[in-house]
Amino acid sequence: MASVAVVGQFADIQGRPRKLWTQSLSWVLFLVGIFIYTQFSIIRHKENPEDRVVPSVAQLYQGIRGAVLEPAEEDDPLDANASTYQRITHSMLAKDTLSSAGRFFAAILLLIPAILLGLHMAVFPYAEALFLRFILFFDKIVALSLLPILFIAFGIGDWAKIMLMVIGVAPTLMLDTYNLAKGVPREQVVKAFTLKSSNLDVAYRVILKQILPQVINSVRLNLKPLALFLFAGEMIVSSDGLAYRIGIMRRHMGMDIIIPYILWVAVLLFGMDALLRFANRRLHPWF
Amino acid sequence: MVLAAQVLVKEIRMERKPAPIEIALRDVSVSYPLSPTGRKTVLSNLNLDIDCGEFVAVLGETGCGKSTLLRLVLGQEFPTRGSIVVDGKQVTRIDSRCGYVPQKYSLFPDRTMIENVMYGPENAYCGWLGRLLPSYRKFKRNLRFEAEAQLQRMGLRATDFHKYPHQLSGGMQQRVAIAQALMMKPPVLLMDEAFSALDPSTRASLQQQLREIWQETRPTVLFVTHNTSEALLLGTRLIVLGPHREDSQESNVLIDMPLPQSGDTIAERKQSREFLELREFVKHRAYGSSIRQDELQAVSEVQERGEAL
Repeated sequence: MASVAVVGQFADIQGRPRKLWTQSLSWVLFLVGIFIYTQFSIIRHKENPEDRVVPSVAQLYQGIRGAVLEPAEEDDPLDANASTYQRITHSMLAKDTLSSAGRFFAAILLLIPAILLGLHMAVFPYAEALFLRFILFFDKIVALSLLPILFIAFGIGDWAKIMLMVIGVAPTLMLDTYNLAKGVPREQVVKAFTLKSSNLDVAYRVILKQILPQVINSVRLNLKPLALFLFAGEMIVSSDGLAYRIGIMRRHMGMDIIIPYILWVAVLLFGMDALLRFANRRLHPWF
Repeated sequence: MVLAAQVLVKEIRMERKPAPIEIALRDVSVSYPLSPTGRKTVLSNLNLDIDCGEFVAVLGETGCGKSTLLRLVLGQEFPTRGSIVVDGKQVTRIDSRCGYVPQKYSLFPDRTMIENVMYGPENAYCGWLGRLLPSYRKFKRNLRFEAEAQLQRMGLRATDFHKYPHQLSGGMQQRVAIAQALMMKPPVLLMDEAFSALDPSTRASLQQQLREIWQETRPTVLFVTHNTSEALLLGTRLIVLGPHREDSQESNVLIDMPLPQSGDTIAERKQSREFLELREFVKHRAYGSSIRQDELQAVSEVQERGEAL
């Protein structure tokens, strides 16, 4: 009877779970995932104690420890007396994270002009006439298909990967900003002009200020596509970076490194997403 | 130094009372494409001369072109035929001399009540460079006092000054919108069904306040409304627009008449016999309700008196 009531609550649109229930439920699937993984790992290790496909908890611990405290294979080994701080800062994970983060943030900085172009397209009719059709067409080009051209144009260094991310995400962000700016009620624009606003005032102090929280949300939602393009670039040509390491480890069946790396990337993106959500709430209390 | 002087000069200009300006519409027609072949005419051969300082109430059924008329004067929309002249100059773009109070979306959602009201003068008298000057802080302090006074005048409490528009009721939002427009001391004030979403008591108090403000500063007002009583109580002139007949080239102005100005307050005007008679007359002409012969006689007397004025 009680189980029927619980199932009934899950199917009730008007249900109001208590805070404790909400918190508990949000962790359930994580725990289920960990349980299934460990059971699967135990079964496989019973059959073959040397199994590397589903590493045991001990193997994963060793893998994480190595990634966090040891330098990468291609780097010089650290002095035996090196402190834990030195070990962490010179570790394989730190090196790969910093390399990937550098490319990632460079791409995000280069996306700011894209946001501004979207805004200008929505606000200034001549800019709209000039850019809109082209951007709509450009948006349909599969960014990954441009990779060979990018490698030829920018070489195999960081710029090709950064440009891949920018080209992949910029049109979406431009069109998103364009639509958001177009969605601002016409009355606001008219009112702003009657309050002696200049064209730039209307564009930046009225429209951009109003849509900024939604633009930040759009950037948030595009974090994953950005990471996807970064991984594509790093997996093809790179000498460092999170995706490069995953690619290398795949050759050695190094699942004890690959799984922590995948989770680390997810944690980084989740953290960035949470940070942007927090910043949005603090900077735009009216939103 | 020069810029500081400019800010001071502009501060002095703020104190000045605006000179009301006149509006003229010549053979104005507006039509919109309705289907691949047809067009819908909203306004047809409209000729209007609005004098300086007139309070023109525009009344009419939905879709008869009231708001279009307002948008034409504002410069937000352009006529298919004819011309609109404001203060001797043809309207070709949004005229920043006009104050505008739309029915909704009139406040910037990202600014608090006080910031909304300060937005216009800050723009007008400072500019981007002016904000970098040391005198800007003093200017902003003075402006804040002025904005607070304007808001208090509209019956708003100081405890609400730092609230965002979404935290305000519809009535409060409209009060702020009016204060925002009035801060610019506009020579022309365009109000598009500004009180339509308000409850009767808020509406009555805002009507009284608007009337007082108009009596003090005498801007030229174009007030679009659906409410016959409101039009008659506030205006010095009434224009009633009717629907355009596709088979006719005639203007769709049904009534254009001066309104009697008896009584000091809205409440007093509401009690007068003239008001009651006029209301029936307008309802009859605009909306086709029945009217008695003696009322028509009384209305024609009022009309004659108004014209004589």
